[in-house]
Amino acid sequence: MIDKSKLKDYANKLMFDMEDSEYETLQEEFEVILKQMDLIGKIPNISEVEPMTFPYKNEDVNLREDEVKDYLTVGEVLDNTKYQVNDQVKVPKVVE
Amino acid sequence: MYKVVIGLEVHCELETKSKNFSSAPNQFTKIPNINVGTVDLGLPGILPVANKEAVKKALFTSMALNCKLPDEIIFDRKNYYYADLPKGYQITQNTKPVGVGGYLDVLVNGEVKRITLHDVHLEEDTASLEHHPNYSLIDYNRSGIPLLEIVSDPCIESADEAVRYLEDLRDLFLYLGVSEAKSNYGQMRCDVNISLMKETDTELGTKVEMKNINAFNNVRAAIEYEIKRQSELLDKGEKVVQETRRIAEDGKTYSMREKVDAVDYKYFVEPNIPSTPVTDELLKELKDNLPELKLSRYQKYIDLGLSEEDASTLSKDRKVSDYFERVIEKSDVNTTVNFMTTSILSTLNKLEISIDELFITSDMLSGVVDLVSKGDISLDHGKKILYQAIDESKDPNELIKKAGLHQINDEEELLELIKSIMDENSEVVRQYVEDGNMSAINFFIGQTMKKSNRQANPNKSKEIIAKELERRKNDGK
Amino acid sequence: MYRGKSITELREVLDSEEVTSEELFEDAKKLANYFQEDYNSFVTIMDDYKIKRRSDSFIKGIPYALKDNFSTNGILTTSSSNILKDYVPVYDATIYKKLRKAGGVLVGKTVLDELAMGGTGTTAHTGVVKNPWDMMRMTGGSSAGSAAAVALGIVPFSIGSDTGDSIRKPASFCGVVGYKPTYGLISRYGLFAFASSLDHVGVLSRNVKDSAIVTDIIKGKDINDMVTINYDKNLVDSLDNDIKGKKLFYIKEICDKSQYIDKNTLKVLDDFYKLLDKCRELGFIVEEVSIDKALLEAVYPTYMTISCAEATSNNSNLTGIQFGPRGEGNSVEEIMFDARTKGFSELIKRRFVLGSYILQKENQEKLFLNACRVRRLIVDKINELFKDYDGMILPASGGGAPTFKESSEKLSSKYLLLENHLAIGNFGGFPSITIPFTFSDEMPVGVNITGRVKDDDLVLNMANKIESITGYKDIYSKVGDIDV
Repeated sequence: MIDKSKLKDYANKLMFDMEDSEYETLQEEFEVILKQMDLIGKIPNISEVEPMTFPYKNEDVNLREDEVKDYLTVGEVLDNTKYQVNDQVKVPKVVE
Repeated sequence: MYKVVIGLEVHCELETKSKNFSSAPNQFTKIPNINVGTVDLGLPGILPVANKEAVKKALFTSMALNCKLPDEIIFDRKNYYYADLPKGYQITQNTKPVGVGGYLDVLVNGEVKRITLHDVHLEEDTASLEHHPNYSLIDYNRSGIPLLEIVSDPCIESADEAVRYLEDLRDLFLYLGVSEAKSNYGQMRCDVNISLMKETDTELGTKVEMKNINAFNNVRAAIEYEIKRQSELLDKGEKVVQETRRIAEDGKTYSMREKVDAVDYKYFVEPNIPSTPVTDELLKELKDNLPELKLSRYQKYIDLGLSEEDASTLSKDRKVSDYFERVIEKSDVNTTVNFMTTSILSTLNKLEISIDELFITSDMLSGVVDLVSKGDISLDHGKKILYQAIDESKDPNELIKKAGLHQINDEEELLELIKSIMDENSEVVRQYVEDGNMSAINFFIGQTMKKSNRQANPNKSKEIIAKELERRKNDGK
Repeated sequence: MYRGKSITELREVLDSEEVTSEELFEDAKKLANYFQEDYNSFVTIMDDYKIKRRSDSFIKGIPYALKDNFSTNGILTTSSSNILKDYVPVYDATIYKKLRKAGGVLVGKTVLDELAMGGTGTTAHTGVVKNPWDMMRMTGGSSAGSAAAVALGIVPFSIGSDTGDSIRKPASFCGVVGYKPTYGLISRYGLFAFASSLDHVGVLSRNVKDSAIVTDIIKGKDINDMVTINYDKNLVDSLDNDIKGKKLFYIKEICDKSQYIDKNTLKVLDDFYKLLDKCRELGFIVEEVSIDKALLEAVYPTYMTISCAEATSNNSNLTGIQFGPRGEGNSVEEIMFDARTKGFSELIKRRFVLGSYILQKENQEKLFLNACRVRRLIVDKINELFKDYDGMILPASGGGAPTFKESSEKLSSKYLLLENHLAIGNFGGFPSITIPFTFSDEMPVGVNITGRVKDDDLVLNMANKIESITGYKDIYSKVGDIDV
């Protein structure tokens, strides 16, 4: 079983935390999914299959022509935050 | 003495009209948040749409850097959280970069050094942060600008090599027309990885990383400082700490943070950008447009007999070099070099224009060079005419024709003119003959030029004047 | 008076000027508000009637509902999550733009499972969506409100999104048609991404023809979504094509009654086999095929693995910095941490941790890439069958909607193949449609027809024919004592 402190570390790296009891549920879910994935690993010759990312081979793909088209006004860029100074989004000081 | 091992990761913003994955403008500006699309802001529901021109320029650069090119274009996501990364991931290339391997040959102190590359990949720039004492501000203009990252192997051994490599890379970007590569606009930046090892060591020493250095002289300063700092540590038997440092204005480097465990970026293939094939057609198009590169031109010029300095000057900028080559196709090399390295380049500097904005075409220059090299006009004269032509935006060859400014080379014609001048200035002749006043020669050259409307060949005139004065001296005896 | 009417019926009464589109909107709005307290289909019900007047589209003046994970400029769009509870987009999803341009009239934005990551309709920040046929039961999800709004007869059609079965499962549970076209047929620009390689936009309606009508309007290449395709075939025109000799298969390992004991499931399967017989009478050739059970059992974990992994990344923009509620704290990390801790429900967080674990360097090969490999094996197998067959037919679920007591989003090792095969349609991007075909325990159950990529015309054609023999075309729940 995956250690709770590890799960907490993973959650924290995703920038959130959970309640203790929630980590316990998660532990159980990990058991389930890992067991199922173990079974998948046992499918014969699985490692020789090329992983699939796109549902089918799309022959109709075009890269975009390099033209300026739609973009936002400064107002729209800042529309969803009230934390703004000089037309920029304000955040606590970023220490580099 | 330690062996220095440096690897450089160079980031270069590609010059395109729109961003890498959105149709917002890719343009440097100091006005915040005016070049931002929904994609660049990472709004819910956005999808990246890859820019054809950025992909082409990336492949073109890889080709020029002798990389192995991929059979298809795909991108990957690099996942991490940071204030300047609105989507929470950067679209980059991990599985199949636009270039693998490859190299750039650079000239360091007269020797060719081959800088080998790990890979070249196309990605997107982040937003920029402006730091204030108590807060930071985010400007998304830079977010999504196409960025080419060129990762070298750890094969660079000195600050000289590093800076030379950077300069040559910048010249390459300009040669290829893929980027303006202005480091003061942050269009070219680099991360430096440096470690020291004993000559006898088989494993690399502990690596120190310095991120996002813009100016090349800061790269030099940072490397030189680190070599000194790390040498002193090792001399004392102390350990170099694996960490990220930054270069400060005093030219010293300071620790920013120690490396904890390596960040896991959880790369996976970007599912919103289906693979597009790199076709033979495209490869041919790129190959056909690939120019002869700087080093090759430099070596060609050396073979033509140019000095190292001239060869370097004339090969540095592709347009200047192309212009130069068009002139020497028809005209004398040495005379052309003389015109190029003086009149032409100084004019470009003075007017702050590029050579294709210059009124004087390569054909015009070729005409002037021919007149000079045949001795029809003097070099000085040629240059004067050239400056006049630039001032007046006129063809110098027309000016020469109009003013009848062909040089008088006929010795008899010159002698006749000189004799008449001497006859009119017998006192000066006397001073030479009797007092041995040598300045008389210069006086007569001046007069000859004046009377001939500066058409007399000055060298020939000088010869004839000297002979005629000697003759008169001997006659007088 | 117009409640429960189809698009075609409404077109007629609009064209004859028996009613105006504004009146239809007001009726729909009234119904939406009337049912809101009991059924909770909507996050937002529009106040004002708005229409693009210059349109000659078939849906001009027809009211519809949009799932609340499509970006609508100036209209609250929450994805049913606290982390977006006040988010008002500044741009339009392509689908919304197209519907508005055609003259469709938006009635409201419908509730979904938080961030579309769920299959119950119980995890929205505004509460549980209730099944129009029985308030004690769930609708299924994640397009819960979109299914309920159609099943209540409020609107003739609604727009949903489908990553695993998020249109087709709630359609089954709510007794409506749910259609997920070929991947790329409809633009996803403006759809809040769940798992990009599996995300589809689709339609819910009360008959196959209405889904075809709407899809003809919203399909096609979009410069803002690279996976979109040109699709010139007209779906409505193909609906009545002759289907004689068309071959369907069903999967033995999923439909074999001997493995089930639940009486509702057995009834569903009995009715399914009866339906197959009727299909044969119509002229279909229907055959049983066998697929390696290990592969079928891999569908659900494969779906979970891929979708959670992509979801973790897709939702990394939800940090409360450039939009969404700002967290508290003294550093950027702290404010992100606070916003995300408060903004996501427990279920979402568990899915994200799972997804992130799957993508970790040391696990990626065994978990993420293996799942992507199984995905290919499954898709290859189905495509191989599609060489001989025109479509796959299966019950969309093994029974009617579960009660709230039975429902859980917790991952469990106990799952039934009958409940979890629809994700195959997402793996391969296959066109896939669910239509109501029976009732079990007084709850509707759907049958699903899935076909070859880009064969949407044939899939809708076959579904249209089958719909004519189910006896459940145009049904809706006639609950409510309201006269509009």
